[in-house]
Amino acid sequence: MSECGTQPPDGSRSGEPELTCEQSLARVYEYLDGELDTAEHDAVRRHLEKCRKCYPHFDFERLFLDYVHELGAGEESRPGLADRVRDMLAAEKS
Amino acid sequence: MSIPAEQRQREFESEALVHLDALYGLALRLSGGDEPRAEDLVQEAVLKAYRAWDRFESGTNCRAWLMTILRNTFINQFRRQKARPVPVEFEQVAERPSSEALYEADPEGQIFDRIIDDQVIAAIDELPEEFRVAVVLSDLEGLSYQEVAELMGIPVGTVKSRLFRARKRLQERLYDYAVEMGYLR
Repeated sequence: MSECGTQPPDGSRSGEPELTCEQSLARVYEYLDGELDTAEHDAVRRHLEKCRKCYPHFDFERLFLDYVHELGAGEESRPGLADRVRDMLAAEKS
Repeated sequence: MSIPAEQRQREFESEALVHLDALYGLALRLSGGDEPRAEDLVQEAVLKAYRAWDRFESGTNCRAWLMTILRNTFINQFRRQKARPVPVEFEQVAERPSSEALYEADPEGQIFDRIIDDQVIAAIDELPEEFRVAVVLSDLEGLSYQEVAELMGIPVGTVKSRLFRARKRLQERLYDYAVEMGYLR
């Protein structure tokens, strides 16, 4: 792993294009949301395997998204809502 | 074969109304914490569900069915409203260095174990509606970019940029809370 700054990490032997840190970070949410196509996803993953600058940043964003997702919309109660809904349904029925 | 009205209502009450708190929770987040608006939304969605109850397939996921009706009800209202201007501060959020402040101060994300959920919910509620709706549908409800784009009637690229800006804004707010609470200095 290397500190690669904004330059593409070296060591590409596969012939695949290498992403810079800037290009990888621009795709962080699409990567974590599973919204990249396979080639782009692999390109980001290859960058992360080599770049110690971006890896923790992606990890942080993953923790953030997991936290918000687990929070969810949740359940909330509102006093009297169930009674008002039942009244509405009774009126609808009649 | 039609079901007698009383039996129909009993079935609906026992299968559907048990999800009222979940419906209200989603309505509250979509409407940014506006309680009367959220209640109206729940009432409208429940009425639609009740009228469509004959078409609900017993044994399938009633909660998911109701949540979809509520989401669509909200989106119909949302899309009927005129386009709202995006606040300038949101247009510029990508350029604001403070959006990276949380990562720089807490790269390991310890804040996510310590922050109070209500503070994050308040921060989501405070997002401008176009951004909040994208976050609620994508991040809280787990819809794909394409699903959010279709629901909101906007291009996928716009969903991406709204999510980016909204998430950075939430991180800014989390940073402010963390400093206020003394978790970060």
